[in-house]
Amino acid sequence: MVPYEYYVALSGLLMVLGLIGVIVRKNIIAMLISTELMLNAVNIAFVAFDMKLHDVVGQVFVFFILTIAAAEAAIGLGLIMAIYRMKKDVDVEKLTELKG
Amino acid sequence: MELSVVAFWVLSAIAVISAIGVVFFKNIVYSVLSLISTLIAISGLFFNLGAELIGALQILIYAVAIVVFYVLVISTVPQYKGEAVDPKYALLSAPFGFILFLELAYVSVYGLWASNTGIFSPDIFKEISNAKAVATLLFTKYLFPFEVASLILLVAMIGAILLGKKDIVEDEKEGGA
Repeated sequence: MVPYEYYVALSGLLMVLGLIGVIVRKNIIAMLISTELMLNAVNIAFVAFDMKLHDVVGQVFVFFILTIAAAEAAIGLGLIMAIYRMKKDVDVEKLTELKG
Repeated sequence: MELSVVAFWVLSAIAVISAIGVVFFKNIVYSVLSLISTLIAISGLFFNLGAELIGALQILIYAVAIVVFYVLVISTVPQYKGEAVDPKYALLSAPFGFILFLELAYVSVYGLWASNTGIFSPDIFKEISNAKAVATLLFTKYLFPFEVASLILLVAMIGAILLGKKDIVEDEKEGGA
């Protein structure tokens, strides 16, 4: 069996990659995709801890995270469609109405 | 070398390489294809850990349903012409990301020893399946959150329909002008 620390390290690595994606990308759709990467990193950590601690509560929470991720993707992409229809652009550098 | 060890290394290598692709591909369609590869590798890791129900749901919900959302929106929005990555943030985020990774790994590995262990030892999983254990907990102790999750999906569906409707945006544009 692989020690669970390896799974936790993999989860941390994917989390940081998703965070770098959110910081670095300029396309708003790519930022949303990086968020999915971060949610998946959390899922791996939940399931790995479950196996270590002999429990299944983490898997129940992964189930809820999957639900929330579906809702988040639907709402986020609906917002992106609305933004695109108004501004004709998906570049975060150009969507700066709220900047003071 | 045990089979599960080989599976872990192969699947995690696929997951990390594809995740790097998700972050750094210029073309957004390649990013989404990389995301599918990552999600399927993560699903394989769930199977490797013995969580069959979550692994199957991962493929069903993430790798099919959510990715179809993204592909639909990408096909509607024309191809993005600007540069993919902001160079001034790219240099800055690498060291901070590394420090954050070390901290996350440290905290999760050493924080675990403070937790209590549950009752679902590997011997119990020989008698009842993983799906039965998860579903039993889901429909007894976590029944109310389960119902609230269905409400969230309904609200998200109504919200997405309202946001995606054409009329509202056009009305706002006429009012603003």
